[in-house]
Amino acid sequence: MRLHTEMRVNRITDEVWEIPITEKSGMLVPARIYATPTILQSMDVGVFEQVTNVACLPGIARYALCMPDGHWGYGFPIGGVAAFDVRSGVISPGGVGYDVNCGMRLIRTDLTLEDVQPTLERLMTELFRRVPAGVGAAGFVRLNRESLDGVMTKGARWCIEEGYGWHRDLAHIEEGGCIAGADPSKVSDQAVRRGINQLGTLGSGNHYLEVQVVSNDRVFDHDTAATLGITGHDQVVIMVHCGSRGFGHQVASDYLKVFEKAMRRYGISVKDQQLACAPFASVEGQDYFSAMNCAANTAFANRQVITHQIREAFAHVFGTSAEELGMELVYDVAHNIAKVERYAEGDLLVHRKGSTRAFGPGSPDLPPDFRKIGQPVICGGSMETGSYLLVGTDRAMNETFGSTMHGSGRTMSRAQAKKSIRGEQLQQEMKRRGILVKAVSMSGLAEEAGFAYKNISEVVEAVDRAGITKKVAELRPIGNIKG
Amino acid sequence: MSSSFHFLDDVATADLAFDASGDSLQEVFQAATCAVMEALADPITVGSSWRQTIERTDEDPAELLFDWLSDLVYWKDAAGVVFNRSELTLRRQENDGWALTGVLYGEPVSGVGQTLRDDVKGVTKHLYRLRQAQGRWTVRVVLDV
Repeated sequence: MRLHTEMRVNRITDEVWEIPITEKSGMLVPARIYATPTILQSMDVGVFEQVTNVACLPGIARYALCMPDGHWGYGFPIGGVAAFDVRSGVISPGGVGYDVNCGMRLIRTDLTLEDVQPTLERLMTELFRRVPAGVGAAGFVRLNRESLDGVMTKGARWCIEEGYGWHRDLAHIEEGGCIAGADPSKVSDQAVRRGINQLGTLGSGNHYLEVQVVSNDRVFDHDTAATLGITGHDQVVIMVHCGSRGFGHQVASDYLKVFEKAMRRYGISVKDQQLACAPFASVEGQDYFSAMNCAANTAFANRQVITHQIREAFAHVFGTSAEELGMELVYDVAHNIAKVERYAEGDLLVHRKGSTRAFGPGSPDLPPDFRKIGQPVICGGSMETGSYLLVGTDRAMNETFGSTMHGSGRTMSRAQAKKSIRGEQLQQEMKRRGILVKAVSMSGLAEEAGFAYKNISEVVEAVDRAGITKKVAELRPIGNIKG
Repeated sequence: MSSSFHFLDDVATADLAFDASGDSLQEVFQAATCAVMEALADPITVGSSWRQTIERTDEDPAELLFDWLSDLVYWKDAAGVVFNRSELTLRRQENDGWALTGVLYGEPVSGVGQTLRDDVKGVTKHLYRLRQAQGRWTVRVVLDV
């Protein structure tokens, strides 16, 4: 098998591959990559280099991991998972990503394709109007420093208090939409000024709001799907992918600088400057953790305000309330975050960067209605190919610190994609295939063409076969809003 | 040869990478600034009703350029603007450091007549390198989008 690395990669199973610690000086644990042989062969050299760099970080437990949607990131690969002992290990903004708590949210409806198709153009126009997207977009929620502090500390709870959502939404958000330990005093004024006008905005890049359909033949586990409110039969659902916007990016940038200096003080050396880190127990480590939690809560709030706007748009177009339309939140899950979780080794700080928490059945962290089936996992594909709903497993708890994939992963650069197709052409082609796209930037749209991504179905098959998540349903796009 | 930049096809799959160059340090600063502005919006379609002067000093010109480019990303969000042009003056200081005075011109994002592109999240140090070779300054920058 030809791989984009000279390192020795041992087969553990057909979906699990291991790079032993002998392959790079300084590795403290082996690196493990979850992939089918086909996906492994397509992975860029950055995955192998970066996952083994992560394996060198102080206090790392068991393995440095990469999921099948892995590709070259900053410091950590996208798709990277690493857990560190809370006493002897580090925290690294490179293991969380610039977009803190970038994540996915799925909202169900009682509507079917037949109900929505005649009004799809009007619906997408209304969603495009109510959910600002793209560069420089400002949200409709007016915040001052005091109310932003509320967003930082309460997350989605702040939104519910302000009337942007239903109280029961909170149970279907990771951590109830509010992570404890957020301290606004650890956030810079620059971050505040970048974030204060952006609540309820999508951003650009690979962020989107998508109207999707679940056909009956693409439901793989009807009982689990039913528990999640997914009925199939051409049911319409809405998926949101976005994060903490400029606020979270500034938090990451601020603390990368802090950590560059702190590493010298703590005598930590890393293989890549973007792996800048500090002991989790240090003042710098705790300050970043508090600021990161502020950004994580801001992202939960961002997706909650967007949900409110989506419900308003549907209610407006269909002339009835969102409750009548059955617009319940299926789940909201982060895929760029670091959290303290308990495993066999004890309390570990689990970094997931482009990787989703996937807790198995019985986890006390799950809402009672999902405790039997495992945690919902929402994985976004390209805007042309579709997305997946999965659930976490016991095996993920045992093997991957309760983690799995997050999306399909790119195979082509943005610059290359733009040279391959024009945004206007892509928009027309997608319309012919029944997908209505509204985009702020046509060049940004071209960058997100389906051919620039791995086939998400292959990636999903890899985690399903590896047993770290279980397929529930495939979601096919019919309308997409991009920045 | 004067300053220039070009976006890279085969670097940073998920984001946006560019190489910028110039005959002087000031020229490479100018070229990299143009690249970030171009990444956000087509400058020709953006007016110049908004103006911001920024002054920065640093011993290390690479850090100075990194912080200056990050300033563009900051003002894009903080003021909700995209950019039309910039004026840069880079001076060597007596204590061996560098001083930059930059003026940014742009206008608030309206979407009317503006060709908007990527909402750049941050400037990264992934593959970041400012260097001088054969009398020419070059820098590689990866923007997180």
